[in-house]
Amino acid sequence: MKVLLHDLKNIDLTNKADQVIVADGKYAPCQGCFKCWTKHPATCALKDSLQEMCRILGQADELTIITENYYGGYSPNVKRLLDRSIGTSTPMSTYRGGLMHHTLRYWKHDSLRVIVYGDIVEAEKETWRQMVKANSLNNGFTDYSVEFMNEWEGSVL
Amino acid sequence: MKTVFIDCSPKQRLSASGFVATFTRMFVFGRKVQCKLRTPKDFQPIFEEIKDADSIVFCMPLYVDGIPSHILPFLKEMENKFTNKNVYVIANNGFIEGRQNEPLMQNMENFCHRANLNWCGGLGIGGGVMMNVMRIMFCVVCALSLLQVVLNGFDFSLLKDSLDDALVILILCCGIISFDLWLAYCINNGKEYGKHYTRIMLPSFVFIVCADIFFTIISLFQGGIFRGWFSKKKPTM
Ligand SMILES: Cc1cc2nc3c(=O)[nH]c(=O)nc-3n(C[C@H](O)[C@H](O)[C@H](O)COP(=O)(O)O)c2cc1C
Repeated sequence: MKVLLHDLKNIDLTNKADQVIVADGKYAPCQGCFKCWTKHPATCALKDSLQEMCRILGQADELTIITENYYGGYSPNVKRLLDRSIGTSTPMSTYRGGLMHHTLRYWKHDSLRVIVYGDIVEAEKETWRQMVKANSLNNGFTDYSVEFMNEWEGSVL
Repeated sequence: MKTVFIDCSPKQRLSASGFVATFTRMFVFGRKVQCKLRTPKDFQPIFEEIKDADSIVFCMPLYVDGIPSHILPFLKEMENKFTNKNVYVIANNGFIEGRQNEPLMQNMENFCHRANLNWCGGLGIGGGVMMNVMRIMFCVVCALSLLQVVLNGFDFSLLKDSLDDALVILILCCGIISFDLWLAYCINNGKEYGKHYTRIMLPSFVFIVCADIFFTIISLFQGGIFRGWFSKKKPTM
């Protein structure tokens, strides 16, 4: 399954993937309770549109994220969604890439593609490369890539 | 000299970030304030505290290799509000390798450059959950053994076992304690700390077994084990 996650306002990307998720920020941030692992697995304790988001991200073979740049990391709306989706893994731990990580609830994913738009300085680009590499290992992606653009260009999809 | 400690954990109580903030504060001189940053309502009071501060210490958990989402709007609002403030970061993460905090540290450094603040470095602590569990256990053990001493007519020889436990905890945390004291020294002297990573002093394969046991016990109590603990659930909404 191809999943596209973006924080673009007033831009319709509906047909660009099997599942398109708009990070509109109309949901609460993670409370850090871990109940999506220990109480009601793969379900968030907060009852809003992200309650079962991990079930969609967990089943994505190809995940594309379009996000505004925030200091070399995701925009608040996208990051909220990612923080609320750690149910994609289980509480049990293993080694991946020589580092400690959680075992995956679903399966190994093929590719993580991150497209960053906005004003991005060189140091932030370097941070992004490390960030996406870490994310891809943490979430069990085989492959990853990062692209940068000053303004969103629809032609890259 | 004034230092503002910001506990960036969304947890109301017993956060690891709150603990490191409190612990570090003990070794910092001058005026010190500790604030909790959970919701946008907290922004303004914290900005008020920062106005006349010399240093700001962000204590935060690592969430998905980065800054927890609720902190980002705060940082955005803070851009160009202040100048000439020293910024330090103490991050802690669940996994054993403190180095996994590196992207978060870079995010905070990039923030300082955009916000015109002095980036003074940070400490990344691996095994934050274990540190948090141990400090709670430490307090409980101390309280229980003191109670035992009192109940047995002030027989202080009973303290020996608890002292042994305390020693083990101190050894496991020796890296965290020494790197943290060094950070406090830098805050006190307005010095640059650089970026350092430390961890609970356990080999990772032992740590992984501890983490697995920890989550199994909690999931047993909260019932998650019986509600499809590992199952590949499909969306229902
Ligand atoms: C949504 C979420 C994402 C997390 N992501 C990571 C991660 O990527 N790497 C890691 O080592 N720990 C991760 N953790 C674990 C936290 O960093 C760890 O529990 C920390 O000690 C919490 O600190 P606190 O008690 O101050 O909130 C995550 C926790 C949560 C709730």
